[in-house]
Amino acid sequence: MDNIAGTKSSLTWAVHISVVALVLMWVLPTFGLLVSSFRTGDQIVGSGWWQALSTQEQQLSPIRIEGDEVPKDGGFVIEGGLFDSAGAVISAWGTSSREPSAFAPGAVADLGEGRTLTVSEAGDYLLTSPTTLAGERLPRVFATAATPPEFTTENYNNVLFSPLAGQTIFQAFMNTATVAIPATIIPILIAAFAAYALAWMDFPGRALLIAAIVGLLVVPLQLALIPLLQFHNWIGIGKGYLGIWMAHTGFGLPLAIYLLRNYMVGLPKDIIENAKVDGATDFQIFTKIILPLSFPALASFAIFQFLWTWNDLLVALVFLGTGNDQQVLTGNLVNLMGSRGGDWEILSASAFVSIAVPLAVFFLLQRFLVRGLLAGSVK
Amino acid sequence: MNPALQAVITIGLGVGGCLVYFYGSNLFLDKVLYPPRGPNAGRNINRANMIRPWLFLFPAIVLLGLYLAYPVVATLWLSLNKQVGTGSEFVGFANYAQMMSEEKFWESMQNNMVWLVVVPAMSTAFGLLAAQLTDRIKWGNIAKSLIFMPMAISFVGASVIWKLVYDSRDAAVAQIGALNAVWMKFEGGIWSVLFLRVLPVVLLLAFAAAVAWVAWGMVRVVLQSDRAVGGLEKLARGLGALVGLWLVYVALSWAFGAVRADLPYGVPQQFLTIPYWNNFFLMAVLIWIQTGFAMVILSAALRGVPEDTIEAAIIDGANPFQVFFKIKVPQIMGTIVVVWTTITITVLKVFDIVLAMTNGQFQTQVLANYMYDKLFRAGDWGVGSASAMVIMLLVMPILVWNVYNARKEMR
Amino acid sequence: MKTRLIAGTAVLALAASGALAQDLKFPVGEGAFNWDSYKAFDEAYNLDGQTITLFGPWRGEDQVLVESMLAYFEAASGVTVNYSSSEGYEQQLIIDAEAGSPPDVAVLPQPGLIAQLAAKGLVLPLAPETSQWLTDNYGAGASWAALGTYPGADGTAALYAFPYKADVKSLVWYSPENFEDAGYAIPATMEELKALTEKIVADGGTPWCIGLGSGGATGWPATDWVEDLLLRTQSPDVYDKWTSHQIPFNDPAIVAAIDEFGWFAKTDANVAGGAAAVASTDFRDSPKGLFSSPPQCYMHRQASFIPSFFPEGTKLGTDADFFYFPAYAGKDLGSPVLGAGTLAFVMKESEAARAFMEWLKTPIAHEVWMAQTGFVTPHTGVNRDLYGSEALKKQGEILANATTFRFDGSDLMPGAVGAGTFWTAMVDFVSGKSAQEVADTVEASWPK
Repeated sequence: MDNIAGTKSSLTWAVHISVVALVLMWVLPTFGLLVSSFRTGDQIVGSGWWQALSTQEQQLSPIRIEGDEVPKDGGFVIEGGLFDSAGAVISAWGTSSREPSAFAPGAVADLGEGRTLTVSEAGDYLLTSPTTLAGERLPRVFATAATPPEFTTENYNNVLFSPLAGQTIFQAFMNTATVAIPATIIPILIAAFAAYALAWMDFPGRALLIAAIVGLLVVPLQLALIPLLQFHNWIGIGKGYLGIWMAHTGFGLPLAIYLLRNYMVGLPKDIIENAKVDGATDFQIFTKIILPLSFPALASFAIFQFLWTWNDLLVALVFLGTGNDQQVLTGNLVNLMGSRGGDWEILSASAFVSIAVPLAVFFLLQRFLVRGLLAGSVK
Repeated sequence: MNPALQAVITIGLGVGGCLVYFYGSNLFLDKVLYPPRGPNAGRNINRANMIRPWLFLFPAIVLLGLYLAYPVVATLWLSLNKQVGTGSEFVGFANYAQMMSEEKFWESMQNNMVWLVVVPAMSTAFGLLAAQLTDRIKWGNIAKSLIFMPMAISFVGASVIWKLVYDSRDAAVAQIGALNAVWMKFEGGIWSVLFLRVLPVVLLLAFAAAVAWVAWGMVRVVLQSDRAVGGLEKLARGLGALVGLWLVYVALSWAFGAVRADLPYGVPQQFLTIPYWNNFFLMAVLIWIQTGFAMVILSAALRGVPEDTIEAAIIDGANPFQVFFKIKVPQIMGTIVVVWTTITITVLKVFDIVLAMTNGQFQTQVLANYMYDKLFRAGDWGVGSASAMVIMLLVMPILVWNVYNARKEMR
Repeated sequence: MKTRLIAGTAVLALAASGALAQDLKFPVGEGAFNWDSYKAFDEAYNLDGQTITLFGPWRGEDQVLVESMLAYFEAASGVTVNYSSSEGYEQQLIIDAEAGSPPDVAVLPQPGLIAQLAAKGLVLPLAPETSQWLTDNYGAGASWAALGTYPGADGTAALYAFPYKADVKSLVWYSPENFEDAGYAIPATMEELKALTEKIVADGGTPWCIGLGSGGATGWPATDWVEDLLLRTQSPDVYDKWTSHQIPFNDPAIVAAIDEFGWFAKTDANVAGGAAAVASTDFRDSPKGLFSSPPQCYMHRQASFIPSFFPEGTKLGTDADFFYFPAYAGKDLGSPVLGAGTLAFVMKESEAARAFMEWLKTPIAHEVWMAQTGFVTPHTGVNRDLYGSEALKKQGEILANATTFRFDGSDLMPGAVGAGTFWTAMVDFVSGKSAQEVADTVEASWPK
């Protein structure tokens, strides 16, 4: 027995380690973006997010000296600091892209024509010139500096409250909520009735109908776009919220009916038969017995549909439009990827704003999600 | 009107409207049309019961027909027509012929086939692994929700996340993409050999062996068993074995490649442009998303495996691996198939990832994105619809199988 | 509760006044703007309460700029303009137009795509005299009018689209100080440019930053290269035949131009990150290499809009500048210029939409934008002193000094090629295929 216990504990260790590895693999990509969203743009491109907590020594982009000249000792001087925030330590600097680390901190560089420049370790500079510098191009400083770790909420501040392209993320956020909430509730209701009919009512063609619904589960959405938009224009609702609610309802129905029917079929038969014997109508059975009992499946589908409508891009682009009062979060994010493609600080923060709600919904309600899903697939 | 207010009104109207419809129509049926009273009470009850299911189903059928069935028919029709000026003209299968002659189409088909094999297989395998492992530990539920988390992230969000992972910078500056940062650590020494050659070879050989074993299992039944095997089943098993054989071949050739490959150490890689392999970097994103789904379902199925079968096996001296593969897996085979097919459907429909990350360039085109390209970029309705029909055709086996199952269940 | 309510109204009031304050960028009547044209328009149109939707390619900073111009139109005419755009605006417009819910007015940078829409009867022709107006009031007006003239659904040609806003594409961007530090001179001929490229490599630097990545449009920056090089190796006549498919895409002249691009982009030492990085580097990230330390590259060939993507705080003229992408001295082809532009067209008939098209003719509609940034116009009635920067003025000069001006060829070709296979072919080319191979593929994809 000892032997078995021994292998068991070593096996348990292996299990723990493997799970840790798996979880890391699944979480790290998202975590990396999360960390990045709290760093400044320079830091993100300067070092990997995993180094966010360590001091970084790197060659900074050239910084141009600026400031008003002050007459002094018959000449002129300009004084100032290279960095906005304190803490950076310069290890070398230069004034030419060819020799970016020609000088040690505190050394004096001769710029010709009697001009000199010196940069201290903390980034304070002093430029002197015998003649006036007004109207002239001032030199650039190439600094190699160690910058301490720094986190900022500025990125979130930017994406949430300052419109980058006429529309704030907050506005997009509201639009998305406006799309997602009705598009979640309406299909549930319609599907619940249909599912009940398919599960507990007997009528010719039922099997065929179920088969058809299963078949519709696999229809690729893209091919429905144009015929449906044509239809919306034809009946006069055009592009707008009404249209997208209807579209999401239509697209969500097969899964809704499929999941709910599978769940309802599994409900105990005698409850329903007893109710029928007691004279309850189908409508009463449905509202009084089936609906409350099906709560897990309803919740599960609601979460599914909510995630899908919240995260959707294509349907929104086609049926809703892209004005400021219509653009949804995913659309806004794609636009940002286009116009601010390289600005990771903006991208990462907006990506997180857009996934915050689905993640919250998911973590709060995942119990239901799992329960309803199982009804549909585990026999 | 304020959209938020509009939304509240819609919820009210939509929900209220539905309730009024369902309640009202039932009331109408019972009280006015066929009241279960009077001389015809019996007949009326029967008639009402014949009509009622359709009242319940009516809104769903209208919406399904309009939003899903009608587009399929419309697309079929479009795929047989060609736009000429403002009108269109019936051209039979000309659009299909034109599509077949395009290199990009065959590239999409080929890539799609790889996607269809790799993504469901890997997602299911990882899901099964995660399910089995997390069920055995205390913090399993936390681990599960973390692995499940990507399900909640939009494809657009996911592509931002993975673009950062795959990011590549000049060798002279620090890498900010995790994958390149790891890659730059390898320099050809002993660790490189261990991780980039030995480990993949071992994994690939193990995979080949497992697939060969499964394939043999498929054929063995036909060859040895005394029980009569239907012709259709024979065919299916033969096909399965062939696919298995092909997978073994691929795995072995990759293992061989991993030994021989001349790896460009110290050069940052543009993962999304390496021909052929970039497909796998795209697939990784979908696997990352779908594994959680597979895990949750399979974990529930595993818990449903009767304890006594497991105990019996343990008493017989089976080790944990044998218990897992010989006792548990066969019992949840049905669920595995469900998970597999669900993910297969997702794979066929998915195009957001490809669109956002490579847009089908660098030889990563897939059918769904090819169709989108044809429809909305080239404005070619005929060929676009034809490729949509190809996607429909590819899901047809799953459709048939689903319908077959649904009917079996009904009986 | 009460205080909160009051605070709420205060915020609302603030927001409203803020919106008003930013309405008009330059006060009417001040500065050297052509306010007469504004006032004349103001008097001629009174369409209070009408609304049009405008769909265009401008997003981000450009959207702010175009909205600053639209504010004047709204103030003068009383029309409310709902401007919108999206990342895949071409696809979106096709979907909307086909489905029957187009915007009132749309703006696209691709004449080829507009022609495609016009042929399906989805675009409304402009007033017949507009064509003559363009010829009279635009520099090289006849060629601009030709860009907007296509056969309609019935086959008769008419002016459908009005060019508004031009881009000069034949520009090479660089950091003057990096050139000074290394002692490089601005090349005046293509021979010198190639020599400079080789010299930078010999000095241990990297001459070019080239990035083709652009999401769904990945590949387009390379089409500009090829077009520019074609104009420098062949007569404009060949260029016209190429864009109109009178000569096949895989004509030796075109293959040679693609190979010429390959000389720059497919030599590892010539491009930042090596040839492999060209296809995947985002075109918006690519110019940042000019300003890094050490510089990742010295030159970047891109159109006049690119400063929007320079690092924040970059000053044109000091931190960055450009020179004309030169022509071969050895070939007698003058100094050709490749350009592009956006064209506005009416998709839904309304008084307000027509008024908007008239508005685009007024000098003030151009001046408001050109006094800011990123806008060059061929309109001859504008005050050129208003250009917001020296750089814009210089681009205006390049446009004026051009012996040949040609519109971006990929935008003239059918959408399937110009916004499809040509892009993909360029990606395939830089990722390894031969020029002949990719040209053959594009030729095969040309719609019959």
